[in-house]
Amino acid sequence: MAETAAEATETILSGRALTKRFGGLVAVNDVDVDVQRGEILGLIGPNGAGKSTLFRLIAGIMPPTSGTVSFLGRGITGRPAHDVCVAGVVATHQIVRPFREMSVLENVMVGAFFGRRPRPHGVPAAREAALEALALCALETRANSPARALNLSGQKRLEIARALATRPQVLLLDEVLAGLNPTETDRTLELVREIRDRGVTIVMVEHNLRAVRGLCSRIVVLVEGRKIVEGDPDAVLNDERVVTAYLGATHA
Amino acid sequence: MASRAIAAAVVAAAAVAFPFAAPHAEYAIDVLFLIFLYGAMATAWNYIGGFAGQVSFGHAAFLGIGAYTTMIMIQSNISLWIAVPVSALLPGLYSLLIGIPAFRLRGPYFSIATIGIGEATRLIALNLNSLTGGASGLTLASAPPKVVLYFAALALCAASIAIAAWIKSSRFGYALAAVRQDPDAAETLGVATTVTKTQALFLSACVLGVAGSVYALYYQFISPDSVFGFSTAISFVIMPIIGGIGTISGPLIGAVVYTFVREQLTALLANFSNADLLAFGLLLIAIVVFEPRGILGIVDMLRRRMRAKPPDAVADG
Repeated sequence: MAETAAEATETILSGRALTKRFGGLVAVNDVDVDVQRGEILGLIGPNGAGKSTLFRLIAGIMPPTSGTVSFLGRGITGRPAHDVCVAGVVATHQIVRPFREMSVLENVMVGAFFGRRPRPHGVPAAREAALEALALCALETRANSPARALNLSGQKRLEIARALATRPQVLLLDEVLAGLNPTETDRTLELVREIRDRGVTIVMVEHNLRAVRGLCSRIVVLVEGRKIVEGDPDAVLNDERVVTAYLGATHA
Repeated sequence: MASRAIAAAVVAAAAVAFPFAAPHAEYAIDVLFLIFLYGAMATAWNYIGGFAGQVSFGHAAFLGIGAYTTMIMIQSNISLWIAVPVSALLPGLYSLLIGIPAFRLRGPYFSIATIGIGEATRLIALNLNSLTGGASGLTLASAPPKVVLYFAALALCAASIAIAAWIKSSRFGYALAAVRQDPDAAETLGVATTVTKTQALFLSACVLGVAGSVYALYYQFISPDSVFGFSTAISFVIMPIIGGIGTISGPLIGAVVYTFVREQLTALLANFSNADLLAFGLLLIAIVVFEPRGILGIVDMLRRRMRAKPPDAVADG
């Protein structure tokens, strides 16, 4: 890295030689990834490239076949998702998974109650913390609605609010823009920036390359489970190998 | 909210006053005793079966272990003050044997495991003659007066409901609800789902154990087929479903209905053994088809209908 002292950054989360096999299929193959504190790192690649699987390995939703994950210098490889969340790394789900019988507020209170320490003591404190997260995600007027009554855009923001309420240091966003219209997309991009500005490091899996280019400070490209390029968005998106991966060899 | 608290206070006061008002109404006291005891147990079953959504068909094991522990300890001249706490703790520890392996699995595995554990426990009790007296059961020469045990059952029922109310309004209750509705999402938000379910099962088993104590002392006789029986285990599932699964007062309401229906049917159809089971089977089908939220669900539906009436229709009500 050709960085000056002023730009020197701290690696907050890193994966080393991460590999995940499902029978004969290698979904993630020997991937190294470093996340710098305070950045927005984009993770892109064609469908089936292993992006979501890599997220799951990092968040503890499934253990890697081999390789290690460390957060703030401590190994968290193979630790269960709830432990990883309490440590400070939380993932949103690509397919929204609200607690359907709870209100929007109650959904977020679960995150507030059980996330990273220090946790709020008692229901009123958890409610207050949850309302703060809801306000940031522009959901405060829907606090008492049933979670299942929200539209897709609302449920996506609920996923983010719930994750934020766990007080994460690293937030893993899995395709939060998918299915949103242009207005909703812009609002969500604004929200992601706002969260970063509040000191949360963000890694996002995203298909919307225009959004990635505008938002991310760095991009990692996965193709068929392998990392093929990483670096500055403009450089990465113009890289011959990336264009080939997305569009096929004839366009390169 | 206030009207509910008043209603609860009135019911509790009537229950406390009844033995003084009608000291010779032995049958009524028998029935009320059963309601309180079943109410306590159904409410405790609901901690894990309702709040956490982990349906157990093996809760008779906890009742039976509590009952046998008390019986055996008292026969060995050990004080009730020791026997009852031990009768709470042993079923709790026993529940860990089931919960710790079974809760690591998702889906219906826990429910299936509880059927096996329940039956295995009954068979062990049946064959452990030297300790349990086998099929002929155990009897007790002397026990506290029935009226004292009536109040013990009432207090246990109140305590069980108080625990349910506390769970529902606490951080623990949020964890259980999250586990029931989406265990994977709960896990990613920091909820230790296996530990949470195990804690709820432990608490539930302890209450069942104390209920077993009270049961043994009241009837002064227990046998594997009564306390460990599969129909007993099933009754703990039936009552919360009748009243309203996952609610605070539903299991008690279910216990009232269950006890009355069973008493009436047993009296009416003396020649038709297990007629009550047939009736409850039909009732369960009706509830699952028409209103899965049970009696409390029906009440809620009626209330909504009343409110939905046009303003002039509401004016006289």
